[in-house]
Amino acid sequence: MFKLSPAGEEFVKKELTRYETKRSAIIPCLFKVQEENKGWVSPEAVTYLSGLMDLPEAWVNEVLNFYTMFNKEPVGKLHVQVCCNISCCMNGARELTKHLKDTFNVKEGEVSADGNVTITRVECLGSCGTAPMMQVNDNYYENLTHESAVKTIKELM
Amino acid sequence: MPKCTINGKEVEVKEGATIIEAFKTMSEDIAHYCWHPGLSIAGVCRLCMVDVEGARGPQIACNTVVKDGMVITNQSEQIKDIVRWGMDFHLINHPLDCPICDQAGECGLQEQYMKFGQYDPEMNQQKVKKRKVVDLGERVVLDSERCILCSRCVRFTDEVSKTNELGIFNRGDRSEVGTFKDKPLNNKYSINTVDICPVGALTSKDFRFRQRVWYLKNDDTVCNGCSTGCNVKAYFNEEGLFRVKPVYNEEVNGHWMCDDGRDIYKYVNKEHRLLKAKNNSGSQWSELTAGKAMQELHNSLFAEIKAAPEKTGVVLTGQYTNEEYQAVFATLKELGVTQAFHWNDTDSDDFDGLLIRGDKNPNTKGLQNAASAFGALKSVADAEAAIASGSLETVMVLAPENIAVYSNYDKTFAALSKAKNFVWFGANKTECFETTNSSNTWMIPIKSFVEKSGTFTNHAGLDQTFNYVTTVVAGALTMSEAMTLFKGETLEFDLRAKPMTSMKNNHFTLNRGEL
Amino acid sequence: MEVKILSEHYDKPSYKSLDGYKELGGYEDLAKALKMDPKQIVEDVKASGLRGRGGAGFPTGVKWGFLPENGEPRYLLCNADEGEPGTFKDRLMMEAAPHQLIEGMIISAFAIKSHKSYIYIRGEYNDSIRSLEKALAEAYKDGLLGKNILGSGFDHDMDIYVGAGAYICGEETAMISSLEGLKGQPKLKPPFPAIEGYLGKPTIVNNVESLASVKYIIRDGVEGYRKHGTEKSAGTKLFSVSGNVVKPGNYEIALGTSMKTLIMDIAGGMKPGRKLKAVIPGGSSTPILTADEAMSANMDYESIASFGSFLGSGAVIVLDDSNCMVDMLGILMHFYHHESCGQCTPCREGTGWLNKVVHAILKGEAREKDLELINGISNHMMGKTICALSDAAAMPALSFLQKFRDEFEYFIKEGQSKVRGVGYAQMHH
Repeated sequence: MFKLSPAGEEFVKKELTRYETKRSAIIPCLFKVQEENKGWVSPEAVTYLSGLMDLPEAWVNEVLNFYTMFNKEPVGKLHVQVCCNISCCMNGARELTKHLKDTFNVKEGEVSADGNVTITRVECLGSCGTAPMMQVNDNYYENLTHESAVKTIKELM
Repeated sequence: MPKCTINGKEVEVKEGATIIEAFKTMSEDIAHYCWHPGLSIAGVCRLCMVDVEGARGPQIACNTVVKDGMVITNQSEQIKDIVRWGMDFHLINHPLDCPICDQAGECGLQEQYMKFGQYDPEMNQQKVKKRKVVDLGERVVLDSERCILCSRCVRFTDEVSKTNELGIFNRGDRSEVGTFKDKPLNNKYSINTVDICPVGALTSKDFRFRQRVWYLKNDDTVCNGCSTGCNVKAYFNEEGLFRVKPVYNEEVNGHWMCDDGRDIYKYVNKEHRLLKAKNNSGSQWSELTAGKAMQELHNSLFAEIKAAPEKTGVVLTGQYTNEEYQAVFATLKELGVTQAFHWNDTDSDDFDGLLIRGDKNPNTKGLQNAASAFGALKSVADAEAAIASGSLETVMVLAPENIAVYSNYDKTFAALSKAKNFVWFGANKTECFETTNSSNTWMIPIKSFVEKSGTFTNHAGLDQTFNYVTTVVAGALTMSEAMTLFKGETLEFDLRAKPMTSMKNNHFTLNRGEL
Repeated sequence: MEVKILSEHYDKPSYKSLDGYKELGGYEDLAKALKMDPKQIVEDVKASGLRGRGGAGFPTGVKWGFLPENGEPRYLLCNADEGEPGTFKDRLMMEAAPHQLIEGMIISAFAIKSHKSYIYIRGEYNDSIRSLEKALAEAYKDGLLGKNILGSGFDHDMDIYVGAGAYICGEETAMISSLEGLKGQPKLKPPFPAIEGYLGKPTIVNNVESLASVKYIIRDGVEGYRKHGTEKSAGTKLFSVSGNVVKPGNYEIALGTSMKTLIMDIAGGMKPGRKLKAVIPGGSSTPILTADEAMSANMDYESIASFGSFLGSGAVIVLDDSNCMVDMLGILMHFYHHESCGQCTPCREGTGWLNKVVHAILKGEAREKDLELINGISNHMMGKTICALSDAAAMPALSFLQKFRDEFEYFIKEGQSKVRGVGYAQMHH
């Protein structure tokens, strides 16, 4: 059964009064849950959070399922998101994704056997001038080559 | 009050009214799925498009307020084209499983398709797959693929029942309506979501697969489930009643009714009914028609009661019409009977803030009003005591029709049947009838509320008159008819079921109420 | 030629900190503005001709003028949910000059008499979030935010709200929904946010660049601001140039500068051996221009509009002759399908349908009449929904098909790309 750390619960309490309505705290609190739940939000965590926030589960679940930054399935230790929108594709983003999947032997969206890597294609991350690029967990890595991308991921492992 | 012109006809509307409300006032056709008069405006189905002279482009009628002098049409080629494409957008991912869908015959998609569509679909791609037969608890089933995401049901649970179970999860054409982790939608008003679902996405477990709607007729009546007196439509055919839906009445129930009220039809159907009058004056039961039974009662009891009225009493429940109470009290007066007792197992002032009231009788108020001219009503416990002491020898009981809410039904029956002469007027039969304690028991089948016309006075004192809907038990009487016969008078009445009138063309889509 | 007004100091790392920012004249314009009549600031912003830099190009001062003239609490929201494919200027602004935005916002808030503002930043922009968090803390500490700012008697609180991944939240009413803790779905208009916005209160939503620009209207005055740009497209603007150019990046130019100068000179032109094929002038939603159109267009609202497109967010996506237009449209249709909020039927179903039809072409499974179908679907998505995402998906579809129809017809007939000479599998990986 998922539960936030005491610091996490304290965070939720603060967020609940930070905005004009309690409901506004759903997004920040889901981020906190994701952070403490190995990168994803489980249904159990939704129930827990809705109880903690005293908001209907349906509201929390609507928000959870609307936004792409919340993972509804487990992800690897490194969540590698390669932008495959237009400017990135023009600069080889799809070839890069394929290279990364082959290198780390993982299918798109799945967790590698060692639990280290999940590779997904995502939509525009606002890094079009430095394409191709990827986001690994919270950070951007830009102007990538096949080699530099692999090297970056390996160093982060 | 602004005036506007709609499809060439002038109409005056209330200040602040929207164009779609103006269309409705005029009973002018306008396509729409998401708008519902009892819910907030979502403006998402985009079908209620109209041309407004001088506007930048087509507007949605549901979110445009009528301004004086507006000239509005939804008959232009442009609007017809928009609606036709709007239909197509709604249908490309819809399974088109009408032959196995319970909504067929009263489906918004079918209706609009017949009016605006009737073309070959352009879509030749694979449809989005979603979940089917999702169990949403005691009363409701969801088919996500049929859902057109109008959000009416979500708005209902947010705004009306305020229970917040439903949501639309995910986005784009992956959006799916549902409850979190398919938790049951067990609020007290859940079937309203089925009513307002314009398609077959939400269906009622009680009703699904039981009848095709085109084999049903419907007529308006008043719910007898509690003292609120929601206005309802009963759906029926020769086999009996199948469901009840709310009818809009701003003063009483708005657009809604509760789930308990959905079950009222069940006690009306034959399997729960007392079909014939029964008499047990010795050791065994005999059956006879109700009319014959009342004649015999007149012959055997009327004079006896009149001779010693103090030994007779009447037990009444708040489940009969004002007209029946008047007939009963008039007869009692004629007989000189002064003892009347009130039986109510659900006496409570509870109110859930929306519709459900603790008094489960539709006409307690009416009974009290009728009795006030007669004299004070004593409690049913007083009757039981008087029978036990022998001071009351003859008792007539106006038994409840909705027996589910009478928790002491069996016990009360047993106690009252200790009277020497025991006359039980009622619509239902139950097992407790087998063990009467009286040496002279009569059971008279009474018409249920859908089988008679009359008036209920609701908790607020509002008189609501309703009309005959259909006949289920041909031989049953109203209390008024029973009293007439009891007095030895004759009655011009036809004990046969009234023949069903022929069904109007496209009867259901025209009459199923607000989409 | 670049004209660096906003971006004058973006290359200086010190500009990120409050001290460094102040050394270069930071917050002087705030002090000046706080001594002005708020109404005068609104009038100046109107007179400056500043138009919303987020994409719609609606005059900022006019938008402010829609607020009711009463004491009702009102909110200022900064739209930093930069998500239009091709756009990356707001990110630069927030990371290189967070105080510039904060200063512009306090001035704007003062002008519209708002005591609370939020900066809604897309959640992926971690560096921008950190940068602004730090800057806000500095500003509070320095008395630039909170009670009685710089002794003016004006109170203002500013906070950051972090989005969670939804392109649609860049639409102002979707942003409001998101900030309210709902799904980021646009709200019906009317009522417009200036009347009933965040929590039903009057609300102004402006883009990062628009708000930062207000500072320079105060600094330079209306005349000074109008020194750059054209009559109807006043001032300078940051353009994000990406795609097949030698030097992609953000460049600030005066509005009205020719697109040729921007692409061929400032952004370094095409790669060796490559020819310009097409330009998407204002972010992926805006109708594509052919090379000829692009080379005769100027970077201002009217000029681009005269070619049937939009200046949009200023995201100039440059495509050279190595690109297959069917493939490119496939990428865009996938994007809009992914991002439709799902509320309005024509968009929810239309974006999915367009995506399927374009991918059917790419996979060699399309019929010839599917090209007409694309037009039909697109035309019936335009102007039929609550927000413009539906139009944003339809416009590229219509314009790609109109201007590069031969490539689509070829793909349907041959099952492979006219330009690349290969099928979908080889392009898509």
